[in-house]
Amino acid sequence: MNLLSFSQWRLSCTRWAPFPLVAALAGCDRGQVQEYRVAKEQTPAQAQAQPATLPPGHPDLSGAPAPALQYKRPADWQEAPLSQMRAASFRVAGKDGKQADVSAIPLPGLKGSDLDNVNRWRGQVGLPGVSEAELATLAQPVEIAGQSASLYEQAGTNPASGEKSCILAAITRRDGTAWFFKMTGDDALVTGQKPAFIEFLKSVSFPAGVAQAQLPPSHPPIDGGSMMAQAGTAASSGQLKPSWDVPSGWKEIPGGQFLVAKFVVAGADSAQAAVNVSKSPGDGGGLLANLNRWRNQLSLGPLAEADLNKETQPLDLPGGKASVADISGQDARNGQKARLLAVVIPRSGETWFYKLMGDAQVVEQERDAFLRFVQSVKY
Amino acid sequence: MSLDYLLDRLISFFTSLRLTVVCLALALVLVFWGTIAQVDLGLYKAQNEYFRSFLIYWGPKGASWRIPVFPGGYFIGGVLLINLIASQIRRFSFAASKIGLWMVHVGLILLLLGQLLTDLLSRESTLHLREGEARNYSEVEREAELAVIDTTDPDADKVVAISQGVLAAQKSVGPGDLPFTARVKRFFANSQVADRPADAALPPAATQGTGRRAIVNELPHVTDMDHRDVPSAVVELETPQGSLGTWLVSEYIDDPQTFTWNNRTYALALRPLRNYKPYSIQLLKFRHDVYPGTDIPKNFSSRILLQRPQTREKREVLIYMNNPLRYGGETYYQSGFDPDNRGTILQVVHNPSWLTPYLSCVLVGVGLVVQFATHLLGFAFKRRTA
Repeated sequence: MNLLSFSQWRLSCTRWAPFPLVAALAGCDRGQVQEYRVAKEQTPAQAQAQPATLPPGHPDLSGAPAPALQYKRPADWQEAPLSQMRAASFRVAGKDGKQADVSAIPLPGLKGSDLDNVNRWRGQVGLPGVSEAELATLAQPVEIAGQSASLYEQAGTNPASGEKSCILAAITRRDGTAWFFKMTGDDALVTGQKPAFIEFLKSVSFPAGVAQAQLPPSHPPIDGGSMMAQAGTAASSGQLKPSWDVPSGWKEIPGGQFLVAKFVVAGADSAQAAVNVSKSPGDGGGLLANLNRWRNQLSLGPLAEADLNKETQPLDLPGGKASVADISGQDARNGQKARLLAVVIPRSGETWFYKLMGDAQVVEQERDAFLRFVQSVKY
Repeated sequence: MSLDYLLDRLISFFTSLRLTVVCLALALVLVFWGTIAQVDLGLYKAQNEYFRSFLIYWGPKGASWRIPVFPGGYFIGGVLLINLIASQIRRFSFAASKIGLWMVHVGLILLLLGQLLTDLLSRESTLHLREGEARNYSEVEREAELAVIDTTDPDADKVVAISQGVLAAQKSVGPGDLPFTARVKRFFANSQVADRPADAALPPAATQGTGRRAIVNELPHVTDMDHRDVPSAVVELETPQGSLGTWLVSEYIDDPQTFTWNNRTYALALRPLRNYKPYSIQLLKFRHDVYPGTDIPKNFSSRILLQRPQTREKREVLIYMNNPLRYGGETYYQSGFDPDNRGTILQVVHNPSWLTPYLSCVLVGVGLVVQFATHLLGFAFKRRTA
């Protein structure tokens, strides 16, 4: 049967009517707003620690790995997803959206006294460093897993946000691993949670064969109090690392909050310096503002706009011009003599900061290597 | 000029071989042009603008107007499909010598239809699991959703998920969907969130939560295949009693931001869009084997535990290269892994018309064989009887 005319076509077309329905399937999109109920989420550590609390109706996971840390969670603390080095993580919500973050981080092979850590925490809330003798007066005795430990309370003003903040932290050492228990957040909230934090520390126990973080023995402690995390490797070009030639003797370590990269350089007699690489959108607050922030870190007064050119030198780089600042003073965290060398590189829509800071002698030794490093960067 | 005459001309147009040739030529040009456009637009944007469209528009840079300049993939493919079907109907005759041709053409129609259905209905997502972790959802990385989660109940969370389309249009949601109104003040399709220096001139991104200590900057759309846009938004929450402030939500912010209102606790998170399933998958072990003495990968495999409480199903499955898991209308492929070899990334594909390319290839192949065999046998028979 050949269909040569429209009249004959009309008869057969009815058999092909379903075809237009295909087009109607187009854009079977999810609704714009969806509502549903889901079981509470489990993290890998939670799934390991509490296999019976998987989604309701979920069969038991027999043969699950042994729990990493055991504790009694205070009622108003919420379990938070674990990130990086944390063996336990909680969020505490207060009034008016105030928050506190609680972490338990094991660091194997970490030796030495608590002084460096305490001074680092004090710096985070804008307090000056203390000496070993003063440290003893700050320690409050607590109990962690049946062992005596010291609790340190640091209350001050967060230099980054200008808000009143408090850090409660306790360190205990066990089987060659240093355990850091820390609560960070709004001053009033953390202070109010202190009794709950002490009870939590008392309830902690370490099962046999507890999993430990894998870090080199000389690795500095990692700050577990991040409020923001970097996007993963699948994220956008905003977190791309440039390529560069790292001088020998520089050891790369995790950068922490919003650093593109971080290196530590060791000098003689345990002196050291750190190289931070970061970037900010736009002008990053401007050269003067950043210079004054660094001067503050070295216990120096702010600089006026008119004196800016006296304190910075231009530097020619393959991609354009940069500004170099060389500042000497006293480290606000520990009162030691320190020096800071910074290179500020404006690029299209962003500004890159390269900062070498630490012991004055180490900075002097590494000055040329630092400048060569900056000049080697390819974006 | 009668209606029948006009419609006959229309039928002649849609059944002509000339139309087929023109469509194929346009398709060639479209594929070339769309491939070149990927360089500036990136794969996904080029696909949407050139191939998943009826018309391709152009406008001068900076101008707000655009005009159609070329037919898009749906247009050319649609006309080709109509041409194929119409010509088959018009020229159809039930003869043994034409069966092969009929099969070939039906196979081509099935191929075109199947690809159209794949384009309209298929969904791709990823499932990223660490060893020991179980999940009952996969994530669409290139599409985000703002999740407003009521976490008050100890057993379950009530989630209101607002699509990226609503955020991009800067609309409001609720009340009705939410017990308060979430008003999108700003949306950044691609962004960077950074710590705000204490003495920064730029104001903080928001008045509440993490945004008080952050600044957000809009970035240009990413075209590099190895990276993707990371969206952020500033949302104001309004209740009958007043505003709960503005909140910065971003895929850069790992932990949900919490607040309480009316004795209920909520969490806000901008996250990749989730597709929940009635079963869970737990990663038992990921293996990355290399050839001995080398760094050359030999095998990537994920041993998973598939569990479906409603059917009491519980079984281990090994997913490895070229050996996906097909379950529940979805296919799980071994796609990637974490650098420490303790996590796996599975690509999850939902494609109801996945069989059509196979069926159409079989139809076309068999049709060709039948057609050639018919002619060959006919010729051989004629020679014998001659």
